[in-house]
Amino acid sequence: MGFIQVVHEYGLTKLVFVLLCVLLQSEASYELNYVTCGSVVKLLNTRHNVRLHSHDVKYGSGSGQQSVTGVESADDANSYWRIRGKPNHACQRGAPIKCGQAIRLTHMSTGRNLHSHHFVSPLSGNQEVSAFGESGEGDDLDVWAVQCSGTYWERDDGVRFKHSATDVFLSITGEQYGHPIRGQKEVHGMQGASSNSQWKTVEGVFIKPSNEPLRHDEL
Amino acid sequence: MASRRMNLTNICFLLLYVAAGVLAGRDFYQILGVSRSASIKDIKKAYRKLAMQLHPDRNPDDPKAQDKFQDLGAAYEVLSDEEKRKQYDAYGEEGLKEGHHSSHGDIFSSFFGDFGFMFGGNPRQQDRNIPRGNDIIVDLEVTLEEVYSGNFVEVVRNKPVAKVASGKRKCNCRQEMRTTQLGPGRFQMTQEVVCDECPNVKLVNEERTLEVEIEQGVRDEMEYPFIGEGEPHIDGEPGDLRFKIKVMKHPVFERRGDDLYTNVTISLEEALVGFEMDITHLDGHKVHIIRDKITKPGAKLWKKGEGLPNFDNNNIRGSLIISFDVEFPREQLSEQQKKGIRELLKQEPIQKVYNGLQGY
Repeated sequence: MGFIQVVHEYGLTKLVFVLLCVLLQSEASYELNYVTCGSVVKLLNTRHNVRLHSHDVKYGSGSGQQSVTGVESADDANSYWRIRGKPNHACQRGAPIKCGQAIRLTHMSTGRNLHSHHFVSPLSGNQEVSAFGESGEGDDLDVWAVQCSGTYWERDDGVRFKHSATDVFLSITGEQYGHPIRGQKEVHGMQGASSNSQWKTVEGVFIKPSNEPLRHDEL
Repeated sequence: MASRRMNLTNICFLLLYVAAGVLAGRDFYQILGVSRSASIKDIKKAYRKLAMQLHPDRNPDDPKAQDKFQDLGAAYEVLSDEEKRKQYDAYGEEGLKEGHHSSHGDIFSSFFGDFGFMFGGNPRQQDRNIPRGNDIIVDLEVTLEEVYSGNFVEVVRNKPVAKVASGKRKCNCRQEMRTTQLGPGRFQMTQEVVCDECPNVKLVNEERTLEVEIEQGVRDEMEYPFIGEGEPHIDGEPGDLRFKIKVMKHPVFERRGDDLYTNVTISLEEALVGFEMDITHLDGHKVHIIRDKITKPGAKLWKKGEGLPNFDNNNIRGSLIISFDVEFPREQLSEQQKKGIRELLKQEPIQKVYNGLQGY
């Protein structure tokens, strides 16, 4: 059935009404449902139910850099990560992150960036994922691309993080550490997307886009 | 006689008008101290300022403080909502539909976090023994335009909240030394983990919209705290959420305190003959410059009042300092042009040789 016929059958008013509803819905969801630049969030691995986490504990092997793990607790401030643009490409505060966009995840408490490189992870032998840099500045190995279906990264969506330089996905396969971080799970990079590499935002501070400040254009 | 009757009618009308005004409800614009054409931003600013001043905790001696505060909340609730404001402008307070009104407490705490932190200094310091959850510090990047004109940022805070659950749980666990008697005169000391029993608690995620004001003249690293919006602590109080202002670099203006610096490149001709130009400021207004004298490279123009508003007193502004540099012609001049210039300027060669790096 052609578009004209559809309109004829169902009435133009009904079509307009439906369109309006869709528009209004998307307006409402735009306010709340997108993950935006500058937001500080916790990321939950949906398969293993742990949150992406870091702390002032270094790996005992591999690069010896600050370790990144998965933790079960929901009230640890060391699980917060700030969403920022890639180096020299600041994203606008409150702008929704697009699927496929390159971002950095900066650990809120230590100021180091989620990072990966050609070192072996301690428990599973996959690619090591660490926290690197100072005060949010590291290097090009801090860049990850957000993979999701659709146009923008939605808060309820399961998304994947693909390391831009080495093409691995941020994943967890369940290996657990012993002392001094007993019970925390290993986070590493793995080739190939799977249910182990799916993440979702949970707690956090989500920044809404602001209006431009008032302008006084005079003649 | 006629004049007295006229006066009576006038008085009657006046009384009727006043009565109507009183019956029609409160004047929300007057309560907030803004004009009828005030922007939503002005309304929010006015509300914030007055809410801090009129809070009942701040005015314990005023019996009407609670009423004034409620009026303020009602005024803000209507005027900050486009729909409600339209209805109020047309029909007055009476014309507003009976709907669900969020409590004034909700509005207030979305602006300032929970009550209490502004009044009476810092009461939290007294309760050292109550365990506290972690603070969350969120860097808030702001543009120089926002520092100049101010702005509001809305955020959605999703956080775990402790809710009562059925059963009991172990809390305040600590190591204690236990002495057990093994026999007459023989004792053993062992370490034991001892816990109290507390009502069971589970963490449930809740969401709330908060609003941060980027005040005019705000400085880099200044913080806006929201008490209690940080991480929860299962045995104690939640920590705070703090927004830390980070002022971003600007392509045109550089900030030094309340002053702004900018550079303008002019042509050699403009430098010698003079020029007229506009500089577009951070809020779009134009700063007009007229030069009819010669402008040296490195010359500075000081424009008072064209800098940033001072944070503590928005009516005081810094200055705009404009530095000029001159662009020399890029292509070589023809012989004819050189001849023309020699004739125009009629300058003797100067050729003074000196040590420029040591101030000679």
